[in-house]
Order: sequence, then C-alpha cells, then structure tokens
Amino acid sequence: MSRKFLCLTSFVVLFLLAGCADKELKVPLEDVGMVGIMAFDYIDEDKTQLTVAIPQYSPQAEQNTQIFSVATDLVSNGIVEIEKLSDKKIVFNQLRVVLVNEELARNGDVLKIIQHLYRNAEVGNKVLIAVVKERGEEMLRYKYPDKPNINFYLNDLLEPSINTAFNPNTNIHDFMYEITNPVLDPILPFIDKNNDKIEIKGVAVFKGNNMFDTIKPEEALLIQAIKGRKNLAPLDINMNQGHGKERLMMDLIENSVKIKSNKNIDTPKLTIKLKIKGTLSEYKGERENKLNTTDSLAVLEDDVNKELEEDIKKFFAKLNDMKVDPSGLSEYFRMYHHGKWKKEMTREIISKLEVDVEVNTSIISTGTLR
Amino acid sequence: MSTNNKKLLNAYHVVFLTQSIMIGTGILSLPQKLSSLGYNQTFMPLLFGVIASVTLWPMIWIGSKYPDANLYRINEILLGKWLGKTINFFFILQFLVFSAGIISNYMHLIQSTALPEQTITLPVICFLLLLIYIVSGGIKSIARFCMMTFFITIGMMFFTSWAFQKGEMSHFLPLFNFTGGEFYEAMKKGYLSILGYELIMFYYPYIVQQKKAYKHTLIGIWISIFVCFITTAISVMYYSEWQLKNIEFSVLNLFKAGEFSFVERIDIIGITLWVFLILSSVAAYLWCAKKGVDSLVVKNSNAYLYILAIIIFFVVKMPLSRNFQDKLFTASNYVGYMFIIWPLLLVILYVLRKKKQVQS
Amino acid sequence: MSETTQQVIELLKKEIHGIDDVVIKKVYTEEGNVTVIYISSLVEKMTVQSMIFIPLANHIRQILRVAESVDIKNIEIVLQKLNAGHTLLFFHQLNQLRTIDTYSAPTRSITNTETESTVIGPQDAFTESLETNISLVKRRIQNPLLKTEIRTVGTETNIKISIMYMDNIVNKENLENLRERIDNIDYPYFTDISELKQLIEDNPLSPFPQYYMSVRPDSVSQYLIDGRIVLFMDNSQAAVVCPTSFFEMFISIEDYYNRWSTASLLRMLRFFGFFLTIMITPMYISALTFHPEILPYELLLNLQESRSKVPFPPIIEVLFIELIIEVLREAGSRMPAKVGQTIGIVGGIVIGTAAVEAGLLSNILIVLVATSALLSFLPPIFLMSNTSRFVRYIFILSAGFFGLFGQMLAFAWLINHLQNLKSLGTPYMTPFIPRKATDLLDGVIRFPTKYLMAKKGISRAQKK
Repeated sequence: MSRKFLCLTSFVVLFLLAGCADKELKVPLEDVGMVGIMAFDYIDEDKTQLTVAIPQYSPQAEQNTQIFSVATDLVSNGIVEIEKLSDKKIVFNQLRVVLVNEELARNGDVLKIIQHLYRNAEVGNKVLIAVVKERGEEMLRYKYPDKPNINFYLNDLLEPSINTAFNPNTNIHDFMYEITNPVLDPILPFIDKNNDKIEIKGVAVFKGNNMFDTIKPEEALLIQAIKGRKNLAPLDINMNQGHGKERLMMDLIENSVKIKSNKNIDTPKLTIKLKIKGTLSEYKGERENKLNTTDSLAVLEDDVNKELEEDIKKFFAKLNDMKVDPSGLSEYFRMYHHGKWKKEMTREIISKLEVDVEVNTSIISTGTLR
Repeated sequence: MSTNNKKLLNAYHVVFLTQSIMIGTGILSLPQKLSSLGYNQTFMPLLFGVIASVTLWPMIWIGSKYPDANLYRINEILLGKWLGKTINFFFILQFLVFSAGIISNYMHLIQSTALPEQTITLPVICFLLLLIYIVSGGIKSIARFCMMTFFITIGMMFFTSWAFQKGEMSHFLPLFNFTGGEFYEAMKKGYLSILGYELIMFYYPYIVQQKKAYKHTLIGIWISIFVCFITTAISVMYYSEWQLKNIEFSVLNLFKAGEFSFVERIDIIGITLWVFLILSSVAAYLWCAKKGVDSLVVKNSNAYLYILAIIIFFVVKMPLSRNFQDKLFTASNYVGYMFIIWPLLLVILYVLRKKKQVQS
Repeated sequence: MSETTQQVIELLKKEIHGIDDVVIKKVYTEEGNVTVIYISSLVEKMTVQSMIFIPLANHIRQILRVAESVDIKNIEIVLQKLNAGHTLLFFHQLNQLRTIDTYSAPTRSITNTETESTVIGPQDAFTESLETNISLVKRRIQNPLLKTEIRTVGTETNIKISIMYMDNIVNKENLENLRERIDNIDYPYFTDISELKQLIEDNPLSPFPQYYMSVRPDSVSQYLIDGRIVLFMDNSQAAVVCPTSFFEMFISIEDYYNRWSTASLLRMLRFFGFFLTIMITPMYISALTFHPEILPYELLLNLQESRSKVPFPPIIEVLFIELIIEVLREAGSRMPAKVGQTIGIVGGIVIGTAAVEAGLLSNILIVLVATSALLSFLPPIFLMSNTSRFVRYIFILSAGFFGLFGQMLAFAWLINHLQNLKSLGTPYMTPFIPRKATDLLDGVIRFPTKYLMAKKGISRAQKK
C-alpha cells in the first residue's frame, strides 16, 4: 500500500512543483551568447583590456561575430561589464581559445587569469591558450577576408595538426599543470597577425609566472621530441656535414625517446637516446642523384644523426643560459630525490646540466619514385 | 518489511552491498584529501584496504556470536537496555547526519556543475523520494540496486583513460617520500572515503551464508579499494602536486580530460551518473537508521521512513550558515570512525561477560 | 414414464423462452418419438443433418450406443449442455435424455500473423478458437506430458480457458501459484485474455507488461518446452506466457531461426533501442536547457539558429511534437488500412516540414523524434513498445526539470522499479541478475544454437 501511496505522492509533488520551476529563470539556448575566444591585453599593472568574441548565428546579422571589449581589473568584473553591453546572457561553456598579449605575459599576472577560468566548472578543458605578439583585441576585430568566423579560425589553427608538431597545444589544464609543477616551465604557442593571416611564429617560454623569451619552431620541435611526442613530421633539416649545403625534409616520422639520468643533483648529467624513423620526402643538395642505394642512405642517416645531435646540444646550451626547463628534464632528477622539490632546484639543475645525445635516424623509404 | 529472521542476502548481494556503500562522494575528492602526501598517495588506498580488512574481523566476529541480531540488538544485549537504547539513538542521529552530509556534498557539486543558478530544494526532494522508494523495498532491494549500480557505473572507469594517456608514470617515484606528520594527516582525512563497510554489522543477520560473510565482504572491500587505487594512481599521473592539493573534486577534472566526437564534456555525464553511487550508499545508511528506529519503538511502521527522510531534508536545507553545516558534517565524518572502534569495544565486553558467566 | 420427458421438455421450454434460435423438432423413429433440441446459431445445419437426423432415421441403435446419457432431472446441466452447442435428444419411449456434441460454430481459418510477422519460420498464427489454438501447439509438441487443464472463468460469461504446461519440466510452485491466482479472480466477464493477464499480474500498477503475450504457436511451444506455463482463452487470439523476464520482451522467435551473428546484432539493436528511445528526446531537452557544453560547438550553433525562431522552451517543444506523433499513430491505427497509410505519410511530412517552416519546431528535433518513434516499434511485443512510449514521458518531464541529473534520477527509478518487479514470483530482471550462468548464453548475444540447450533460469525448471 505504501508504495502505491509513494508513487502517487511523488507524481502529485512533481506536478505541483512544476509550477515553481518556472520561477527559476532558465535561459534557453537561443538567448545565450557562447563566448568562443577571450583576449587579455595589458593596460597597466592593475588593468587589463578584456575582449570576447561571440559567434552570431543569425543569418540576417551583418557580422557573424560579436566582439565586446572592456577595461577591467578583475576577470569576473569584466564579464559583468560585458553582460551590460550584450543583449544575451554570456556563458563560458564553449570557450575555446584564450589569448594573452606579449606585454601582459611578460609583466602581468597570467596565472591569476587562467586560474580564474580553471576554477569555473563551466569552462571545459579544451581551452587553448596562446600568446599574441601585438594586441589580442586587434586580432579579433580584424576582418580576415577568406575566413568566415574568427572563432573557428583561431581554434582550428591552434589545435593539433600534422604539420605543426612544434605547437605545444597548451590547453588550460596543461598550463596549470606546467606552471604549478616545479620541474616544468610552461610553453605557449606564439602567434602574430601577418597581413590577412594569423601565423604561429614560434613558442613563448615562461620562466616562473612570466614570459621569458620566444624560441623558433625548429627548437620548439626539439622540446616536443624530448617530451616524447610520437609524431614529429615534418622534420626540416639544414645540414652542412662535408657535402656542402644540404637541405632535407623528412615525413611520417615516428619518434621514441629514452632518457637516463645519473641521479646526481650536484653534477647533473643526462643521456638522451632519440630514435627517429621516417621517410625522406624531399632533398636538395650535392647527393641528389646518389640516394638510391641503401649504402648511400646509411651515410646520409649518419650525417643526419650528427646534425641533429649538434642541434640538440646547441639548444641545451641555450637552455643552460636561460635557466628554463620547458621539456621537464629535471623530472628525471626529482624522481630519485627524497624530500620536497623546489623551483630553485630546477633552475640550478638546468644551468648545470650536461647532456649526452645519441640520435638514431633511419630512413625507411624515399618515396615511390626511384 | 521482511521479518528479522529471514535470510535474504546471498553471496553476490553481500559483495556488492559492501562495495557500493563504500563508494560514494568520498572517492570524488580522495586525491585531494590525501594530498598532504603529494605524489606518494598512490598506494594509500591499498594500505586502507589492509586496515579495513583487519578492522572488519571484529565486526564479523561479534556478528557471528549473535547470528540473528543486528548491532542495535547487540548493543542492548551487551550494554543493558537503557544504555543500549541511548547509544542506538545516537547511532540513528549519526546515520542521519552522515547521509545528510553525503547528500549535501553531492547536491552542491551538482549545483555547481550540472544545475548552475538553480536552487537545490527541488532536486533534493526528488532525490529523497527516490531514496524512500528504494529503501522501502528492504535490504534485498537495496542490495540489488547496488549490484546494478556497480555494473552501470563501472563503465565510468573508461572515462579516465584520456587522463591516463596524458599522465606521467614518473610521478610515482620516488617512493616513500613523506614525513610522519603528512602521513597522519592523509590517514585522518582519507580513510573517511572508504568508510561504509562497517554497515555489515547491521545487515549481517540477513546474510544466508554467514560463515563465508567475511570472505564475501573482503571481496567487496577490495573491489572498492582497487577502484580507489586506480583513481589516486591516475590523479597522481595527471596532476601536479599543487593541483592535487587545490582541486577539490579531482575525479571531475579527470573526466574533463576526455571527449567523444559527439559529447564534448564527459564530466557532466559522469557526475550525474554518480547519483547511482550516492543513492546506493545513502539508501543503506537510511535503511540502517530505519532499523534503529524499529529497535527503539514498539510498533514498526513505514511512516518512520518518511519522518527520517524529512529530518534529512531539514538537515540538508537547514537555515543555518554553511559554515556550521560544514562543521557538523565534518564532525559526523569523524564520528564515523567510531564505528570502526565500536565492535572492538563490544568484543571486549563480550569476552568479559563470558568470563564472568564462567566464574559465577 | 413418458410423462417425465414431456415434463422436462415443458420445463425446458420455459427456461429457453426468448431464445428464439432454439430449434425443437419431433422425429418418429423405431424407438418411438424423439424430440431433438439444439441452438441453431451454435450448430451447423450440415452437422445436425449428418450426425443426428440421418442416423435417427436409419440406424438409431448407433446413436443410442454413442450418445452421452444425461440425468434428466438435472435441468441445470441440461441447459448448460444446450448452451455449449450440444444437441439434446429426448427419447420419450425409453424415457432417456441423450446429448451429442454438435458444437460447430463458424470459426476463422488459420491465417498469417499481422502483429508478429517474421520473414523466416512458420507463418501460422492462433485464431480465436480455443480448440484450434491448442491443436496448433499440440502439433508441435507431440508428447503425452504436455498437459492441458481446462477451466472456466468469468462469473457471468463462463469462458473456457486452458492452462498448458509440460508436466515434467514446469515448476510446480509456479503452477500452483498461477492456479491460485486464477481461482481467486472474481471478475464478471472477459472479452480478451489481456484482461485476464492484467488481473493475475504481480504488480498491476506497473507500466511494464509482466507476462509475455504472443499469437505465434512456434514461440509459445518453445516457451512450453522451456518450462513456462501458457494460458489460452476461448475467443481470444493471444496466448499468455508466464513467467517471463524483461529481456524476453525484446526477443523475437525469429532470432532462433536466423544465424547467431545476425540474431545477436538484431537483439542488441532492439534492446539498446529501448534505452535510446526513452533517452533521445530527453537528452535534447537537457542539452539545450541545462548543458549546452556537452554538444560540439558547430552543432550548437546550428541548433541556436534553428531554435532562434521557436517561441517556446525546449520541453514544450518536445512535448508538442511527441503529442503530434502520438496523434498520428493513433489516427493511423484507427483508419482503414489504405487511408491510414496516406494519412500517415501526409501527416508526417506535411506537419513536420510545415511546423519547422512556421518556426514552431527546430528541424533537428524532428529528426530525433522520428528516430525515437521508430525505435519504439522495435520490441517484438507490442505492449512493450507502448510501455516505452509511456516511460519516455517520465524521462522527458524529469529532463525538463533537472536536465541530465533528472534523467539519471529517472533512470535510477526505472532500474529500481524493474529490479523489484516480479513475474509470477520470479524476478523480472533476469538474466541481468542471472539466476543461472547459462542464461547469459541466450542474453543480448545469442550464442550458436548448440549451446542453447539449457533451460532458462527464470522458468525454474524441474531438475532431472
């Protein structure tokens, strides 16, 4: 009997309470402005310029993106200001890209901004972060003649793709992970407007909570290689190993890396073994017509190994000077260290670090033409 | 309601009852609670499992001495009628506050993720109605629900696979890199998450194969421990130490790492599906409270169930400050440890009594 | 002596006053006068002619040898016999009453099934005649252990029902349980067996059918062999199989005729189709009102665009279109077949496109609703497809209140409800809470036929 009663009461209660539900204002989808991109530009120490881009679905509207911009001291305050300007309710559950301009990255508090977004349960993990050279607002407001929507354009540009393996694709979790992890320094893609296009110019390296320097894509690719990214294509190599100037391009690369440390913090030393497998897609230089035997390819492989080893060593020398560790090499010392690990220890290790590099390239094929 | 002497629960029921009651809101924030150990928390759940296995033994032992009595009855027998009844009354209060704590914790999570900008009054009412519906079916119905819960929610383990791929194995090293103070802190806060197996003392009289109950309960405990272990392991791989310390619901963020092509945010699905786990554990606690009321009053009636649910509702929605509520729930959590120690006390009492009887 | 028969006839005539299709004829034979009484609507002319009148005229001894003799004073029985289609023969000289069963009311011939048609397998279906139905089953199971108990139910109509079971397989406890339930029925009349079914179900308030109903003799005999009990009722086409499980509602007998791989695929489709049909449209509501973040960005923008003209919230939109679909279904099933088809198509296309163009509905919703309506027809048991429609409304409402959280609450309710349901005392959710390991061989995946020998756990068959 009690079950019947229960069923009945629950139905009655539900239907009675259905009336109350109306009071809780639920904004339907079409009245929601889903922010796709947020850009933060530096004004002065306290203030930032917050710009948001909201895609506009209405076919009648002249522009397909709404852009709002306010100067603000707190992120949430800025959002409130924008709500005043917008006819719709601003939500962040489809936020895809956060842009930070270089000045802010160098001088301002990026961590606080990202942390604010990271705390918000509405914001997903797919938010990609990038550093803009000039001003983010300009980048958003500019009319790209061949791109229908800045929201999709930027997102597609920053997302992982085959030919931009150097791009760290730092999303909001990665950034928080890297910045709070003592063995790592965050890296972000560095983008700039180039005529009517946006281009990933390189990678911005942070030191502590602020941007320190930018590095070129070729060097950034080495970071990814050491971090263990599986696919590094295309690998662009400029060689000068006794055969004059040579240039070659490798494709379809499979990469595996093995790192061993000597577990000694005072005289840190790492042995890095890098195995690269791929196809030679293009070659320009002296040996152009001799590359059809396995022997000649083996010679070429050796030359590539030497060249890459030199490149990597050069890069580590640069890191030693900069005292930053974007590829998390000090993790190999933390693993064997008892006690708390501090950021200063990473700095110390990276400045003292000695590296032994051993690259093992194998060229699987040179394409289908002989 | 079935009578006291009926044996209802078979082996599978016991395994999954134990298992599902243990997994509630605790595991959601387990990595955060253990965060004083930093990366070394990985193996803590295994240690908890050992402790649970050891502390389970006195519970089963005292139960096997009174195969037809639940803990309320045993209290009355061993402590005398009045003292026993007073203690039982406190047990009921503890169960109510404890379940209210679980519900309130979960509902606030739901409010901040799935139902933003909405009051939780109506969801709580619906939740409680469903809870009453489950509990009124008796312990066997709860056990079956636990079983279904396990098979429905175990698929969520897959949701953590993205985080697993992204994580760093090297975080597990170095082993045993912590101080005694940190260990104590983690122990104190973390063990709460695996509480729930102590309810065996209440449904023990309903078990068919009481001799094998220890084994079956152990299987249930270790399934849960394994789930906890995977959670902490993946969290350690995926997060930095700062994140472990500062992200309250680590599991939620683990879910966030994944996506399907048609569903972008798995965390919402995961956290709403979690209601099964909450329902199964709170249902068991409420059932125990109901049994307690039955032991206090003469006449059994289902109306008490409604009254208990209403009390829970008022504890969850009480007009007091959030601060006080938090303190109350934390207090009730620590009181939960009492149930681990209580059977030991009873065992001692039992032995003393036996000795007295032999002497006299 | 002959006065007694005369008196009885007079008495009988009073009782049958007003039943104008009673035929009373006097025949003069070698054994004296014989009065023949029968009801012309229950007895065919040819039958009376060949079974009664010709023998009476020619070899009356034969009749006396064959015909059943009835106590002449027991007028009740005499009346009952008459109403059951027997012919009464009053031999005045011998002062005897003999009856011969001449029941030969016109019946339908055996035809194809329309509600449970299959591509492979036997095509015959039950008819409305109890005898035909029993014979259809007995043809398939030629075994003396197949028992057929006949009883009458309905305090006013005295309809015959038959309980069929395999004596060596059936669970006696179940059988006793069922007999008791049937005996306890106090209901005046039955027009179809589904009424009886509702009266003997374990939980009459549940939206789920707890017994299997089929008009296919092959599937019924298969269940009989498995140890189930089958109920037939005179004048109703379907047979009721009990006990049965939730999962069996998604099993078609064709699964056993198909190859195992195809059958497993179709079963999965039907079974998960049930969950899809109750989840798709509520998902739309939750995603649009509460959790836009779970949908991909591009899809969301599409949705925003198509929703921008719709004046009401998603829940009203969904309820609106669902109701239209219900109306279309109901109207289609009431209309004559030829008209119904056209109306269905016209209604579907015209209302659907027009509603989208008028801005009443978003076009994505039309796709979802049409899919879920189609999915709801997947279960081979029509009652289950009706149930899925009802349950869907519960999910729609709860999704309207609390989004995905509400859906999960409703799902928890559904699970708890289902696992507490029983069919003739056996849990309804087998084989998901398996009673036997072998049940899993014939679960969502149907294993090759040679592994399917074991009886199902739910029938609790007698152990050999």
